[in-house]
Amino acid sequence: MTMKKIALAFTALLSLFAFINHSGGIYKTNTGNISFYSYTPVKDIRASNHKVKTAFSSESGQLQFSCLIKDFEFKNALMQEHFNENYMESTTYPKATFDGFITSVSAIDFNKDGTYTSEVTGKLKIKDVSKKVSTTGTFFVTGGIVNAKATFNVNPYDYNVKIPKMIAPKISESIEIIVDSDYTSNNK
Amino acid sequence: MKKIAFLSISFILFGVLLFAYRMYNKPHINVERSKATEIISAEQLFEIFNTNEDSAMNQFSDQIILVTGKLLSKDFSNELEPQMILKTDKESGFIRCGFKPSQLKSLEQLNDLSIIKVKGICKGINGDDELTLLKDKDVTLSSSIIIE
Repeated sequence: MTMKKIALAFTALLSLFAFINHSGGIYKTNTGNISFYSYTPVKDIRASNHKVKTAFSSESGQLQFSCLIKDFEFKNALMQEHFNENYMESTTYPKATFDGFITSVSAIDFNKDGTYTSEVTGKLKIKDVSKKVSTTGTFFVTGGIVNAKATFNVNPYDYNVKIPKMIAPKISESIEIIVDSDYTSNNK
Repeated sequence: MKKIAFLSISFILFGVLLFAYRMYNKPHINVERSKATEIISAEQLFEIFNTNEDSAMNQFSDQIILVTGKLLSKDFSNELEPQMILKTDKESGFIRCGFKPSQLKSLEQLNDLSIIKVKGICKGINGDDELTLLKDKDVTLSSSIIIE
């Protein structure tokens, strides 16, 4: 009788752990990628950041990003210098952040491999200016790793990025931002 | 006389164009060849940034610094920029060093919890108190190299 009770308690405990493990949690990475592209007939500009800190809750759908502006790397050193000093003023405004939600998070089964899409909406903060952005995110679930990809466009003038008239033709008013991150649960 | 004036203007114009070309194509900072402007421990560096980010940015950002600290873990999850995390005395505070992919082999040989010296370009502190899911903070270094 006592053995039965112990076995029952043990099974209940295991089920509880399994439930906690499968009922979702926080998925995170500190090595996410964000790239941006500016296409104009005069010049194409691109830069990438591979140290993006990002996390989401598979229960509430809350999704957040934080990245350092100075961590964006350009192929051209002078362009990187101008981007930081003249346009982004990245010593004064060092971070860009996003705080929002995966709106259909309940439709994503994080325990089942597959490809899912959901609208992602939230506030993008650059140079202390917050603006609402929304896009469609694609979530690829493979063996517990969630790869999320999303693309959206921003206008630099919306975020108080001042571009001199002489340079303006070289910089697009619609900068394409591409997010690509691999999330794992319980990532430190 | 006209010939001399023409040659002089051509020479000046050539000089200006050459200068502009070299400026436009100037290389990125070579960390290996550059001298570190600050030598500091991982704990001190994090503490300075955590106490006053604005002042720390003015002092350290874009500077080549040499950081000594305990290797907490290696993070090779992003093949475009292998990374290493140095421990600080704060539970949720780290130094995150980014390396060029060409350095991957030498990084693989390092043992966790060993004391290492890393030289790199300081970029700032990532993480935000307002973002509830991203409470931990990293002071980041780019183009890092292992000194010992």
